[in-house]
Amino acid sequence: MTRNFIRFAASTILAFATASVAQDTAPTDTDTSMAATSNAIAAEAESRDRFVSLDKNVQDLKKEVLDLNRDLFLLEEELLFPANSQVAFFISMDVGEYFELDSINLKIDGKEVANYLYTEREVGALLRGGVHRVHMANLKTGEHELIAVFTGKGPHTRDYRRGATMAFDKGIGAKYVELEITDRVKKQQPEFVIKEWE
Amino acid sequence: MKIKHLLVGFVICAIAATTLASAGLTGQPAPDFALKSSTGDNLRLSEYRGDVVMINFWATWCGPCRQEMPLLDELYSRYERVGFSLLGVNIDDDSRRAMDMVAELGVNFPILFDARKEVSKLYEVQAMPVTVLLDREGTVRYVHHGYKPGYEEKYLDQIRSLLRE
Repeated sequence: MTRNFIRFAASTILAFATASVAQDTAPTDTDTSMAATSNAIAAEAESRDRFVSLDKNVQDLKKEVLDLNRDLFLLEEELLFPANSQVAFFISMDVGEYFELDSINLKIDGKEVANYLYTEREVGALLRGGVHRVHMANLKTGEHELIAVFTGKGPHTRDYRRGATMAFDKGIGAKYVELEITDRVKKQQPEFVIKEWE
Repeated sequence: MKIKHLLVGFVICAIAATTLASAGLTGQPAPDFALKSSTGDNLRLSEYRGDVVMINFWATWCGPCRQEMPLLDELYSRYERVGFSLLGVNIDDDSRRAMDMVAELGVNFPILFDARKEVSKLYEVQAMPVTVLLDREGTVRYVHHGYKPGYEEKYLDQIRSLLRE
């Protein structure tokens, strides 16, 4: 029994060895197709690598363009609105139960400088805590007057228009002014407050 | 004879000037604006980014606008659900007349009122109607001055190609 098994194993090994020698000496159709497949795989891998590197290059370039765009924007702001004479006006909203903002009109020293219409989305963003820069200007140092007119729907969805005035002193350095819309629960009316940021 | 030549030259110059004014916008990012609409809401162009947008400037006194608007409304109802928006910007001083005409024509696309003519200045509108087509990125791709029967076919082709991009 053992002898038979050894004979069978020996013959199998011999058969494999012969086959491998035959493969080494004369390439068959299978070999050619295998070589072609491996070539194709290599080419595919190479093209994938090339594509990945191209994609990376494009992404890098995009990032550079975005950075450049940001730098240019900052430079433009610095040139157009030098920090010393810069005044920025922001609008914010708290609760907004008694007032639905539609538009805002800003006048500085009697001259209209901004007229902004708010869409539903923008009002939603303000109600969620967003702050909107309505206007940015260069002003000389000294006394100035700001008139802000708020238009929208007031309590019981009636058309509502209210103005708020503030005299402010522009010193050396940038100034930030916030126009805040809040609810006055006691009076069930909206309130418009103008305040300066320190 | 000289006067005739001068007149022809003047007409050619006028047409060229009108064409050039609009050509300047093509390929440029569309100027953003916000206007009050017929529903009372304020609409801002930049909020339509991602849609193919057609802006149609019209007036009640403009005959071709009356012809064109129902055809534009057909395009709007057909392509609205696949990302096409149409904004009709009326430039009349009195918005009530515009509302009457909209009700008479039965158009459904949003109508905006540019009584102060600020937006029409931004888009260099020098004839009526003017139809501007923007791609999904918000770039001005086509500007059409006036309306002649058959223009709607052009609009259709352009809308389809922009929607496919």
